[in-house]
Amino acid sequence: MKRGLTSLLVVAVVLGCGMGLVYAQGTVGTLEITGVPTDVAAGRYDREAGVFSADVTEIEGALITVKLEDVKILGKTMEWRTDDDYLVFTVDAKLTQADFELTGEQIEYFGEAKKLKSTGKVVVITEDSTVYADQLDYDEETDEAIFTGNVRVVFSDGVLEGEKFLMLLEKSELQFFGSFQGEFSDSDDKQ
Amino acid sequence: MIKLHPWVKRVIVILVVLIIALVLAFRFFVEPPPPAVSVPPSVQLLESRLVGRKDGFRQWEIWAQSVLQTGDLVTLTDLDEITMFQDEEEYLFLDAQTAIWDRKQDILHLHESIVWDRDEGFYLESDVLIWDGNKETLTSPGPVFIVWEGLEINATEMILESRENLLYLRDDVQIRDGSMIWRTDSAVYDLDHERMDFYGSLVLEEGANE
Repeated sequence: MKRGLTSLLVVAVVLGCGMGLVYAQGTVGTLEITGVPTDVAAGRYDREAGVFSADVTEIEGALITVKLEDVKILGKTMEWRTDDDYLVFTVDAKLTQADFELTGEQIEYFGEAKKLKSTGKVVVITEDSTVYADQLDYDEETDEAIFTGNVRVVFSDGVLEGEKFLMLLEKSELQFFGSFQGEFSDSDDKQ
Repeated sequence: MIKLHPWVKRVIVILVVLIIALVLAFRFFVEPPPPAVSVPPSVQLLESRLVGRKDGFRQWEIWAQSVLQTGDLVTLTDLDEITMFQDEEEYLFLDAQTAIWDRKQDILHLHESIVWDRDEGFYLESDVLIWDGNKETLTSPGPVFIVWEGLEINATEMILESRENLLYLRDDVQIRDGSMIWRTDSAVYDLDHERMDFYGSLVLEEGANE
């Protein structure tokens, strides 16, 4: 159980370091659209509205990638509203950083509010654990990450299941809301 | 039979030989003068205003110190400001070293050109610009640099379609918009709606130094 909680803290720290800094002010980020034939328009920037959008769902092998240092967000469609720094990825959306990976049907980053949200079949994979949920909300200001809906945390030595799970990163606290079930094997407890 | 003095005989022989030689020389060695060739008339005018029209409407107007017309080609040098019109309104202004206008094709070649728009901050530099009066397009077949409302654009080729106000940019396109730099294979910029469509692969660098 102790090992499981440590793993969750690792997840929390990665969330804090990785996601929260995407498109932070003063940093250099890059957006790449690859694998698009030269006669196909995959991206559009509406300068008046300050919106960039891209869709490569119909192009085999094409991909949209946003990079910020070692954080990468990938997907098949994306929209970036430059005025309030809002970024949304859909279709095969994925955020990766070193040995951390977040996938979801949608990944949104609210730059002004400094929040990250992922919805639909959310999966967070780290070196030690995998977290499944319907939704993930991360608040950079409060350093809180909330997993909601069918939360399932799988470690090598056990599983935790519940409906809502809050990580308070600053306080290094984990809060479970509602009923939560956990199962851990004895052999791993001894480690 | 008349008996001639041998001296007279010699003179006669020499004369006959000379006549034959002269006939042969004119026949084989001296070309007849060439027939008259018609040269197209050329007209050179000084300090002139040249106006290009389509369906009676002004498309462009050039003031030039020297205008030379040869056949269908009109060569203008020592140019003053060139004005392009759209719906009889001043649209773009150009400076160029020389201009060659093909009257039949209604194509105007401009060399070492700078184009600008007084009101909206459009500025363009290109070694060669081609105005096609029929299609109403301004083409830069070589590298072009454009400034448009804060955007800095570099491309290897450009076509400005003035009817639709669409700017087609091709090959190694780079567009800088403040701290954003777009690099792509080709792009189409809708100037009226300020919309850019990117073709092929795209790289956007955000947060670069302005």
